[in-house]
Amino acid sequence: MEIDYRLERPLNLHARLRVEGLTALLGESGSGKTSLLRALAGLIRARGEPFGGLRPEQRRVGYLPQGYALVPHMTALENVALPLRGPEAERVARRWLERVELAHLAGRRPHELSGGERQRVALARALALEPRLLLLDEPTSALDAATRETTIDLIDRIVAEVGLPTLLVTHDRYVAGRSRSLAVLEHGAVRQQGPPDEVFARPATLGIARLVGFANVFAGKVAGSEGDGVWIETRGLRIFAPTEAPPPVGREVHWGIRPEEVMIVRPDRPLSSPLARNRLEVVVRRLVKKGLAYAVRVEGALALEVLLPRHVQDRLRLSEGDRIEVALKPTYVHLFSSEGFSS
Amino acid sequence: MTEAFLLSFKLAALTSLTLLVLGVPLAYALVFKRVPARALVEAVFLMPLTLPPTVLGYYLLILLAPEGFLGRLGLDWAFRFEGIWLASVIFSLPFALTAYREAFQAVEPEVLEVSRTLGLGTFRRWRRVILPWIWPGLLSGTLLAFAHTLGEFGVVLMVGGNLPGETRVASIYIFDLVQALEFQQAARAALVFVALSFVMVLAVRTLEVRWRSITGSSAR
Repeated sequence: MEIDYRLERPLNLHARLRVEGLTALLGESGSGKTSLLRALAGLIRARGEPFGGLRPEQRRVGYLPQGYALVPHMTALENVALPLRGPEAERVARRWLERVELAHLAGRRPHELSGGERQRVALARALALEPRLLLLDEPTSALDAATRETTIDLIDRIVAEVGLPTLLVTHDRYVAGRSRSLAVLEHGAVRQQGPPDEVFARPATLGIARLVGFANVFAGKVAGSEGDGVWIETRGLRIFAPTEAPPPVGREVHWGIRPEEVMIVRPDRPLSSPLARNRLEVVVRRLVKKGLAYAVRVEGALALEVLLPRHVQDRLRLSEGDRIEVALKPTYVHLFSSEGFSS
Repeated sequence: MTEAFLLSFKLAALTSLTLLVLGVPLAYALVFKRVPARALVEAVFLMPLTLPPTVLGYYLLILLAPEGFLGRLGLDWAFRFEGIWLASVIFSLPFALTAYREAFQAVEPEVLEVSRTLGLGTFRRWRRVILPWIWPGLLSGTLLAFAHTLGEFGVVLMVGGNLPGETRVASIYIFDLVQALEFQQAARAALVFVALSFVMVLAVRTLEVRWRSITGSSAR
């Protein structure tokens, strides 16, 4: 489904994106993600297609706000039956509850359900409408990590089974990574859309880079080209970055690398040839545990954030003050396209 | 005594019904609609809470007298049942309005929005979502207004005086008995009031508790 919407209130926004299967919309808070969803549901004024000019009652767009908005005096079953009419309503509602694996809680009221269960009731209710488009606003923001994963699994599965275009708004990188297509909202427009891997590895702008956790971004100058890439000079250091469209020598550019993709050179192991490039000596300045990994800040000619898997740290036993060598493997070095410079 | 109590009941019933009809749309508008100078509007409706009953009664008497502003418009209601009915409506409005407003405030706007996206038009939204959500609040507000009207004294005395069968309600009847030093009869009538108030407050409380257990909102 192609979406082209213009909003003027509460903020100026022109969003053009394609919703296919589970599509995630990533953006900073205040970027207008929720407003776009509400406009698509017909709850705030906007111009555009599809559904332009229709009232919410006429759109058949399933909308799940962050608080799920279940009717508190109705049981789970009654909530799911809300959009349904006729003698079959209860049977159909029960089938949707089975689909979200909650048939056994049909008689419970919302306050007797957990956050994840409420979420699924709300999902079943939206699906019972047999919508043409499903909108989910931060569906996992109030859930714990384990529930978050099972919830996304369930949404992903059902949406695929039903073949329903679904737009999911999130600021959670994990959730964004689970989508089929990832669109990023920035400065009032969708700046990039593609498979999540691509957006995560090759963010189009510096703002998007920041959103997708691209912590190491540097300015530099193109010093020369070679084969399938260019050499960039940054603070006296020469970094090789692959690119299909090499910018001219002397051009100011930005480049970067994700913390997960900075490699630590082990003194006892020789490096394969591509890694002979892009190496620098650094000192470990800070080492913090982050889940099962370690967030390491190293400083040399460049200051870099490095995310070290536990098994690597177990072998290297790095500590603050150590002098080490890191390699920025060219495959993982991302050169921002010229449109990315402005932000 | 029976006559006075029957009159009190008639007055309280008519007053609370009137308040239900007037107060519900008013409370809905105050909660969900854009009301210009909302604070001012609310202050006017809530003023009877702080106004001395005799002051409110005085103004109504002036307005409803045959040569008063309303009296000349045909509302010549001083010292008549209609007069004490109007006075009671104004005097109990804050109680009913506050309860109705609270009932509407509990309704989450987000739920109403989502029910629109689920295809529920205005009528189905009221019938299936809003009314089942607010009726305990409406009922307890109406009961409060009823109880409050039963016990009214100052306003009723000012506007209606003390005419048996027309304006002499139970509270004024008790006052009369005490003035006449008939303490035994006064005690009987007073006891009826104690029982009535207790039953009504208990009913309001029970409603609230039951409702909170259904919707899961925390008890206050």
